[in-house]
Amino acid sequence: MAIQAGNLKRGEFIMHLGDIWQVQKTEFYSPGKGSALMRSKLKNVSSGKTVDYNYKSNESIETVDVTSIEMQYLYKDAENAFFMDNQSYQQYELLLSVIGSVIEYFKEGESMYVYVHDEKALNIRPPVSVTLKVIQTEDAARGDTVSGAKKEAELETGVKVMVPLFIKKGETIMVNPELGEYTGRA
Amino acid sequence: MKIVTTAENLQTYQAYLRIIQIIEKFLQENNYLKLDLPVLSPALIPESYLEIFKTEFRYLDTKDNLFLTPSPELFIKRLLSEGIGDCYSMGKSFRNSEPNSPKHQPEFTMLEWYKIGKDYKYMAQEVLKMLSAISWELFGKNTITYQGKSVSFDKWEEMTVAESFERYAEISPEELFDAEKFMAKAKKKGYVIDEFSFEDVWSQVYSQEIEGNLGTNGFPTVLYDYPIQFASLSKPNSDGKTAQRFEFYIEGIELGNCFSELTDAPLQKKRFIADDRERSRSGKIEHPVDWGFIDSLEKGLPESTGIAIGVERLGMIFTNSNQIEDLKLITVR
Repeated sequence: MAIQAGNLKRGEFIMHLGDIWQVQKTEFYSPGKGSALMRSKLKNVSSGKTVDYNYKSNESIETVDVTSIEMQYLYKDAENAFFMDNQSYQQYELLLSVIGSVIEYFKEGESMYVYVHDEKALNIRPPVSVTLKVIQTEDAARGDTVSGAKKEAELETGVKVMVPLFIKKGETIMVNPELGEYTGRA
Repeated sequence: MKIVTTAENLQTYQAYLRIIQIIEKFLQENNYLKLDLPVLSPALIPESYLEIFKTEFRYLDTKDNLFLTPSPELFIKRLLSEGIGDCYSMGKSFRNSEPNSPKHQPEFTMLEWYKIGKDYKYMAQEVLKMLSAISWELFGKNTITYQGKSVSFDKWEEMTVAESFERYAEISPEELFDAEKFMAKAKKKGYVIDEFSFEDVWSQVYSQEIEGNLGTNGFPTVLYDYPIQFASLSKPNSDGKTAQRFEFYIEGIELGNCFSELTDAPLQKKRFIADDRERSRSGKIEHPVDWGFIDSLEKGLPESTGIAIGVERLGMIFTNSNQIEDLKLITVR
């Protein structure tokens, strides 16, 4: 399907110079000389490489049709993460550089959605929130009541996030994996 | 859209106010008269690439279309032709169809100032003095740090548009000033050119390959002599290919746009007709053309140069912010 670049949205998969890319960021921009532009940051789903590209806002872009399949996250090695389709048991792999830092918030065996096109996994669809246990954090100092103050906490996947002072070791918390931000107690 | 309150930006907002004070002090000390101008007008300068806001005045059974001005230029040039002399205006301008982004808001503060009897090169020196004045007043030195990079106001990095295309996009002047050759070169570089005008493709190449490099070498960059297709309200150069227009940049951010003002009424009228036609062709909101503007040119616009500066963007630079919203206590978006 073709869309106008002005309608491009974050997360969409598009064809650009013969490859499939995922849109990371867009910004409409009208320089007042010639047509308006759509600034975009694109990630190549085969290499993980990112580029900045400015489309004419009324330029036609070919989008890539994808299906979103529920899969189990199996494991990762130094370069790739491996997933299995829960229905067909077919395995898929994705470059860690394509998935980005969100992978650090996932436990092996967890279910998540993966975008697939033409038998190839393109990227995961990160959930808005993941639930993880705090395995290490300092106890808050007594009398430290500054509103909004944060401390570091290590979660069960090894990733570290900033949490409010009242969170204790052993608690389960919710985190937005794309922002790497604490969103609440589970 | 919603109203977003960000009272936590108070400190940056106060720094922004201080910048505005310094700018006004600089202009008043240099004998520029402050103008207080309307933002609603019954007619506008036709600008091909800007969309406008339309509203109406109602009284009993009468209705009059009014438009929020995308720039105060139409008012200021009337006054210049009346002999008002060196002057400036700082106020809100409005541009539709451009959503909020880190460096743009549909409603923004624009500074325009005009100097009689001088050209765009003179104005470049005047702007550098103003940047310097802000830097000295705020930091006691002629250098600032923006997003981790040092910018000195000791001088401009000066470059013509043709030099910038050669340096950053490997497009020769011969290719730049020949629409056919330019389009062929752009196509070779992978740009989509079918059904697009030279202006559209030029603008894309400019934003993709040139802009990000401007003002990144330790000094602000003044980029001058734009292709005649982008002359707008500026005077043509004698080479027949370029116009006396400059833009200036810090860290890839466009901050201002200056012309040696076009005083030739018949030529301006011709450009108005072409721009008005281009607006209709591209489906923009129709508005009455301000023919009174042409009348004032006919009356005699003095030789002059004028610049328009995005005040919030300048505020971003001097407060080391990476988005306009950081300067604001209230934003509608």
